[in-house]
Amino acid sequence: MIARMRLAVGVLALAAGVSAQAEPPLPPPYAGAYQPQGVDEQGLWREMDEEERRFAQSDMIIRDPTLQAYVTKVLCDTVGQDRCDATRIYIVRVPMFNASMSPNGLIQVYSGLLLRVHSEAELGAVLGHEFGHFEARHSLERLKAQRSGGDVLAWAGVLASLAPSYDMLRTYRNLQLTIIGSIYRFNRDQEREADGLGISYLNTSALRPQAAAQVWERLMAEFTADARAKGLKKPRFDRIPFYSTHPPEAERATTLALLARPEAATRDDGAARYRAALAPWLPQLLDDQIKLNDFGASEYIIQSLAESGWTAPLWHARGELYRLRGAPRDLVHAAQFYDEAIALDPAHPEAHRGLGLALLKTGQAAAGQKALLRYLELKPDAADAKLIGMMIPKEVPAP
Amino acid sequence: MMSRLIAALAVTLIVALLPSAAMAHKLREQGVAVSIADSPLTVTPGRDWNRLDGNVGKHTETWTLDGGQLNDLTFFAGIEPGKPLVRERSKKREPLPKFGAGTLLVELPELFEATYRTAKQIADFRVTDVQPTRFLGQDGVMFTYEYVDQDQLTRKGEAHAAIVAGRLYMIGFDAPRLHYFERNIGDFHRIVQSARMS
Amino acid sequence: MRQGFALPPQSGKTILVLRPSVRVAEQSTGGMAEPRAEWTDQARRHIDAALVELQRQLGNRVIAAPEAYGEDARLVAEHQALFAAVSRAVIEYQFFVGNRLPTKKRDNKAGQFDWSLGPDVAKLPGADQADYALFLYTDDQYGSTGRKMLQIVGLVAGVGVSSGVHAGYAGLVDLKTGDLLWLNADFQMGGDVREADGAMKRVRQLLEDFPGSTIAREAAAPAATAQARP
Repeated sequence: MIARMRLAVGVLALAAGVSAQAEPPLPPPYAGAYQPQGVDEQGLWREMDEEERRFAQSDMIIRDPTLQAYVTKVLCDTVGQDRCDATRIYIVRVPMFNASMSPNGLIQVYSGLLLRVHSEAELGAVLGHEFGHFEARHSLERLKAQRSGGDVLAWAGVLASLAPSYDMLRTYRNLQLTIIGSIYRFNRDQEREADGLGISYLNTSALRPQAAAQVWERLMAEFTADARAKGLKKPRFDRIPFYSTHPPEAERATTLALLARPEAATRDDGAARYRAALAPWLPQLLDDQIKLNDFGASEYIIQSLAESGWTAPLWHARGELYRLRGAPRDLVHAAQFYDEAIALDPAHPEAHRGLGLALLKTGQAAAGQKALLRYLELKPDAADAKLIGMMIPKEVPAP
Repeated sequence: MMSRLIAALAVTLIVALLPSAAMAHKLREQGVAVSIADSPLTVTPGRDWNRLDGNVGKHTETWTLDGGQLNDLTFFAGIEPGKPLVRERSKKREPLPKFGAGTLLVELPELFEATYRTAKQIADFRVTDVQPTRFLGQDGVMFTYEYVDQDQLTRKGEAHAAIVAGRLYMIGFDAPRLHYFERNIGDFHRIVQSARMS
Repeated sequence: MRQGFALPPQSGKTILVLRPSVRVAEQSTGGMAEPRAEWTDQARRHIDAALVELQRQLGNRVIAAPEAYGEDARLVAEHQALFAAVSRAVIEYQFFVGNRLPTKKRDNKAGQFDWSLGPDVAKLPGADQADYALFLYTDDQYGSTGRKMLQIVGLVAGVGVSSGVHAGYAGLVDLKTGDLLWLNADFQMGGDVREADGAMKRVRQLLEDFPGSTIAREAAAPAATAQARP
């Protein structure tokens, strides 16, 4: 799947960047949670702790202890208990692929990331990469590099960065700009180091390290599908203008594939466990994604999730996607998809609702009304129950 | 709504090009019936409002009392099938959901939500209620919602909509949840009650 | 300023200062870096010193808002966001020539200044110990996309990031009613936010003409300085 050319580039890049390539070094023995050194770092820690208290109140945090505990477990399985004890994980409801880590150990995982990884190994790969930045103190290095000779930030500068609590979750759209905008705070060497550390954590864990490359490959495919659906040129992830500061995703995927221990390829991915853990949230995450109106990306995501088997929520989501686009052909497809959902789960209320609406819109009034009636029977307290009720003449027989 | 984005840009322009062309917002006087966006929709305000200059879309108008950030009354006067609710920044890269010939009343809250999420680039939007209502002399839909906008302020909203001769007519009101929504929701209701198709 | 408002020095009133929050977080996965502002402990100490100086110069008792947790923290954040929105509205729609709302033009003529954060300000932590609250805020007029582009340019060029139109606001709010009594806004055109402006100078600029203050007026910043004074 990876083009020959990219493979060649990858090997070249490896030779240029990282040293020994038979296997990456084992992760260094963990020295314990980093203690801030010196006045600057201590101040930074204090400030970040204060910030974390504020952040913890944000409305955008998904407060599900089970899910949070699970994601934490995956991190611990990946990097080991010692390392993972230094962190706190927050899951944030933003439908983008991202995770971040503050120097004091606060990890944010965006819900869009949870939607796009398919196994514990993949999730561990991303979290491990973030942890790699943390362990290698990249953020502190960068902070120190940014501040020149102990100068004090002007009050104006401090003010410029101020915003109420939810600002850190502000922007996320426009995939094209995201790629261009990947002017990472970390330079190329730091990104390589984090990738390498991430892989080495996975190598020494019980999870399959080859999963790391899959994440990037799938992300690239999603971007491609989205660009194609919009009639745009293939996304420029091979031609990022600011190539010098970060390896493009294609190269990153190659690098990761080459670094993983071959004999680890037969390990468990934890895919089934991951699916089970995410199941309560999957419908919501799919809905958040579909409402971004990126048809190509959403279709790709749904279909790639369905590779491990179609489920009622996946069929329902696909129905919603097509119904919301709403062209006549789309509505016919949507009805079929809702039917599939109902076949797998006859008591899925929203699938009946979607089916009813799709049928009504393609001129099949009687069948549509029957489906809507079933929806109301299954969910009499639905928010739009009254309105739906008005769409069904009294004499429609119960199914 | 979109007017806030436009307004922010307008201020940027003004400051950058001082002095700049005048942007004339118009008065909408209490008790004077006025038509919206050259359409058959007319309303009679119960108090003085300001109509904001700026173009959120071909069939839209935005009114305010204190500024779009604090109260935003937006009229959608006759959106045609195949068109989005507001102007798209980029038809190709950031398409907005479209109103369709077959769009049902019950689907209007979804259309509205998807428009807001896509256009405003926000993640936090909830439709809180959906009820049938009479609007413009026919069966319509009323829905309420709440969302966190780009300026981190939580806003509440209410909209009334109907489909007349295949076109969408809707009036929506957004304001910060803190103090401002309750303060002027009554003024919004008066506008809705005065709405007529001429 | 609100009609009829005066705050003489040594009037025995207490002002609650709501300290703005600072954000430091990094994101780097999946090609989505969003550079965050740096902050140092020294900057914080400068702010504290500036506030102490404020107390002296304003001639009234100044207290810092207590640390807020949980629901209180959320309330503070919502009020700060609302203050920012109200400030922007005041500047954009009441004071900017050419952008005034007709109803606000009328207010100007009648000497009206009618803006509020609402009576819930009385629930802010520390509100029971003060008469007024001083909100301090800064505004980034560029949309997030625009700012990202600027930051990209800045990082590549190795220079400080310009935030485009950059404004600081200071506002005084009556803690009993939520009414905005006084607002100052300071616009700086395309200023490099890492330029060496002392914390004190900035505070002073924002609090020029604070009612009853003895702070001497600074020379106006180049290009555009606007003050919200009816």
